[in-house]
Amino acid sequence: MKVEIVTRRGGAEAVVEYDYQRRHEDEKPMVLDLLLQAQATTMPDLAFRYGCRARNCGVCTVDVNGRPRVACRARVNDGDRISPMATLPALSDLVVRRDGVARQMRGRLATAGQGNDLNVEAPDDYHALTACIECYACLHGCPMHARNFGGGPPGEMPADQTPDPAEGYRWGNPFSLLKLQRTRLDPLTSAAGKEAALNHAIDLGLDACVGCKGCKCGVGIDLMGKVVRDMVSAAGDRLPHVDDASD
Amino acid sequence: MAIETEWRDYDVVVVGSGGAGSHAAQAAAAEGARVLVVSKDPIGCSDTKISEGIATVRESGSDDDSEETLSENLRMAGGDLPVGAITDAFSADSKTAYDRYRMQGLRPAIDTMRNTPKSLPLPMGGHTRRRSVGHRNSGIAFGHANWNAVVQGDRIDYIEDCWFLDLVTEQREDGAGKRVVGGVIYDAARGRLVAVRAPSVIIAAGGLSTLYFPKTDTMRGNTGDSFAVAARAGADLVDMEQVQFLPFCLASPPSYEGLLIGEPMTASYLGVLRDRNGKVILDGVYLRTRAECSAAIMRAVEDGRGSPNGGAYLDMTGNKRHPLSGPYFMRFLETALPSAYRVARQALSKSAAKCEEPWEVRPSAHYMMGGIRANEHGVSVAGEGTGQAEQGIAGLFTAGQAMGGLFGANRLGSTSLTEGAVFGRRSGRIAADRARNVKATINDDAFAPLIAEIENRFGQPGDRAAPTLKLELQREAWINIGPVRTADRVLKMDTVLADLESKLETVAIPDYAEWNQSFIEFAELCNLIVTAKAVAAAARERDGSLGGHVRLDRGAISAFSQPYSTIVSQSADGAMQVRRVARPRTPLKRIVAYKAKEFWRKVEVKWLRALPAAMQDRKLEKKYRAIMGVTGAAPELAPGGAEAAIGEATRA
Repeated sequence: MKVEIVTRRGGAEAVVEYDYQRRHEDEKPMVLDLLLQAQATTMPDLAFRYGCRARNCGVCTVDVNGRPRVACRARVNDGDRISPMATLPALSDLVVRRDGVARQMRGRLATAGQGNDLNVEAPDDYHALTACIECYACLHGCPMHARNFGGGPPGEMPADQTPDPAEGYRWGNPFSLLKLQRTRLDPLTSAAGKEAALNHAIDLGLDACVGCKGCKCGVGIDLMGKVVRDMVSAAGDRLPHVDDASD
Repeated sequence: MAIETEWRDYDVVVVGSGGAGSHAAQAAAAEGARVLVVSKDPIGCSDTKISEGIATVRESGSDDDSEETLSENLRMAGGDLPVGAITDAFSADSKTAYDRYRMQGLRPAIDTMRNTPKSLPLPMGGHTRRRSVGHRNSGIAFGHANWNAVVQGDRIDYIEDCWFLDLVTEQREDGAGKRVVGGVIYDAARGRLVAVRAPSVIIAAGGLSTLYFPKTDTMRGNTGDSFAVAARAGADLVDMEQVQFLPFCLASPPSYEGLLIGEPMTASYLGVLRDRNGKVILDGVYLRTRAECSAAIMRAVEDGRGSPNGGAYLDMTGNKRHPLSGPYFMRFLETALPSAYRVARQALSKSAAKCEEPWEVRPSAHYMMGGIRANEHGVSVAGEGTGQAEQGIAGLFTAGQAMGGLFGANRLGSTSLTEGAVFGRRSGRIAADRARNVKATINDDAFAPLIAEIENRFGQPGDRAAPTLKLELQREAWINIGPVRTADRVLKMDTVLADLESKLETVAIPDYAEWNQSFIEFAELCNLIVTAKAVAAAARERDGSLGGHVRLDRGAISAFSQPYSTIVSQSADGAMQVRRVARPRTPLKRIVAYKAKEFWRKVEVKWLRALPAAMQDRKLEKKYRAIMGVTGAAPELAPGGAEAAIGEATRA
C-alpha cells in the first residue's frame, strides 16, 4: 500500500512516498500503524505525535487527504496523503505546535471555590462535553480560529506575521468554546461565573459563529447543538445581527 | 550548529503535567511558590487520560471504612513491601485529594442518601470496602481537571514539547550529600535548551511501560524518564522489579496490540482462562490478582500451549450461555469497564464481542509499582529501613507513578488517580516550603558540564538510528525482564543492555535545533536503557516470585517469610548497585485470616461451577440483581464505520 507523507525540515517541505507492508494479508492498518512502520524502517527520524493508540489522548491528529483524523483510529488507504494538521503551525514533519490554543484559556477557566458543597450532580450535557479529547479536529474550517492567521491556514501566512503561540491565540475555536460552555453548564458555577464565561466567548470571537454552517467534532460531540447555538442565543443582541439565515 | 541556552529561575520545577504533576504545581503555587511545569507531551496528556477513571475515595461507599482498613488493604496486597507511613498518608488524604479534582470540574454521580460520590456496587479486587468511584468518560474527565489546573493556574508557568533531560546537583555544604540546583531542558518547539535554576524539583513524569511497547496499554511517553533522571542524579530507586502487567490485553489485530479489554473482575463468576487446547489453566478468574492471571497465561505460552499471538484464551462463554443471568452478565461487562469493552468491541469479532467465543488475551505492561524512593511527603530518601530525608538528595521530590513505596508487589485497582493527587499535593507543599527556607545562591558553573554534553550531541556523527535500537530493547525487555523471568534471562538482559549502551555513541543526530526528532529519540532511548538496568538489577536480587515479579525457575516467596524491598542506585561508573531493606511483616494472625478468606472464596466459585446449569443460572441471576439493576445491550462498533466518529473515518 503506497501513501504520501508530507515531511518538513527547517521550513522546507518534501513529499515522501512510503510503501506500507501489511503484517498479514487482510490487515486494515490505521494511519498510526503506517507511521510507526515508516519510523521503524526507512524513515527513522520521522516526527509525529502519538500517545495512547486508543483515541483517548487526542495528540495524534494529522490531516489525511486534507481532513483532520485521529491517526490511531483512522484507516489508511492506498494513495492517501498524510500531512500535518493545516490549522496549526507545523514544527517538524507531522508535528504541529498546539499550545497557542491552550494558552488562550489562561485566566478564562473556573475553579470551584473552597467551602462549596461539591456533592452536586452535573447535567448530561456537561458530561457530553467532557468526552472531548482535545484532538483539535474541530479547528478545521473554523472561521473564528482562521482569524488568527488572517483568515487562512497558518502555513500561508508570512512567518514574521504569524502570532506567537506562547502568548495564546487572540481568537477562539470550538474547543475553547466547549471549555467555556462546560463552565456555563456546571452547577457549581455562580451566575457571575456563567456570565463571565459567556463574555469570554464573545471576546474570543463568538460573532464568527453567527451564520456559520458549523463545526465537526473528531469524537462525535454535537458541537453546534450543545455548545455553539446555546452560546449564540444567550449572547443575543450582543453579537452582530445577520439578516440571511444562510444554512 | 550550536544550540542556544536560555536561563530561567523558579522556586519549584514540576516535571510532568498529568495527575501528579498538576496537583503538585497547584499545591506549590498555593503556597506562594513560582512554579514551572515542564511537559514533553502536550499539557495533561498522561496516563490519567487512559485510565478507567475510577478513584479510591475512602468512606464513599460505606461508613465502616477507616484509614486503618484502607492502609492495611494496600500493604497486604503489596506483599508487605509498601511503607506504612506512605499507605497511611494515602488513606488519610484520599478524600481531600479527590476533592481537588472536583474543584477543577470533575463531576461524579452523587449518592444523595449519603451525600458522597457514588461508589461502584462491589468492592474492587483486594479492597475490603466499597470505595471506588467511577466517572463518565473515564480518565478523560480527569484529564480535563488536570489540564484546567495547569493552564489556569496563577503563578504556574508551563512549557510543553519540552524534555527535562537531567537534574543539576551540587555537593551540600555540610558534605552529607547532594542538593538540587536545577535542571536542563530541551525545548523542542523553540529549538533551544533551557537551564532552569531552582532549589526544588518534583519528578512526576510517569512510568516505564514503553520499555515493553507494543505490549503495553499506556501512553507512549512512559520512557522511564522519571527513574533515569533520578538514578543519574544518584537517587535510590525502590522495588524496581515490580512492574504491573495487566493480564487481559489484546495480542491482535496489530493496531490494537497491547490495549486493555478486561480485568479479572469483568470475567465475572464463570470466566476461565484456557490454553490452546481448550484446557482450563485458571478458574475463578474474577477472584484472582492481575499478577496471578498474567503468570498463568505466560506459563502456558512458555510450555508451548499458548495462543497464536503468544497469549491464552479468556473464556466468558459460560456467563453468557445462561438464559436468565446471561443478559445481566453482558450488561455488567459493558458497564464495569466501558472504555476497555469499547476496545474489545472494535477489535474482536462480533461473536467474541458477544462473548459467544473466547477472547485471545496477552498481558501488557501497565504500571511501575516501585519507583523513586521517597517518604510520605514525596521527599527523596536513602539509608536503612524506610530511609531518611537527610541522606536523600536535598530538593528532589517525587509523586505519582514515578514514586515508589506505596504499592510494593501489587497495585489495587482504582488507586493511581488518587495516588497522583495525594502525593502531588504533599510534594508540592513541601517543595514550596523548601524553596521558601533555602536561599542558597546557585552557581551556574554546576550546569556547564551537562550543557556542554548536550550541545555535543547535536551533530553527533554515526550510522545508527535510535528508534531501531529502541525496538531491539523493547523486544529483549519483554523476553528477559517481562511478565515472566528466570535468572538466566535477567543476566542475558545485562548483556543486551551493555551492548546497546556501547552503540549509543554511534547514533546519528543531525545538528539542527528545532524539533530534532533524532535527539528526542536518543534521549528517550538513554532513559529506557538506564531504567531497564534498574529493573534487571532489582529482578536479580528478588529471588522468587512475588506480585508482579514472576520467576519461572523459582517458587513463590512465602507470605510468612521476612519481607524485603530491593533498593537500586547507580554508581558513578554507571553500574547499578542493588541491596535489600527489611520490611515489617503483617502479624501472622492477620495473614492467616486473609488467606483463609481467600481460600473460602475460591472454594465457593468451584462449588458454583459444579452446580447443574439451571440452578447455577438462578443463583447468578440473584447475584447480579443484587449488584446492578437494569439490563440492555450496547450496539456493535467498528472504527471507520458509519456509527463511529468523524475523526476515525478516512473515506467520506
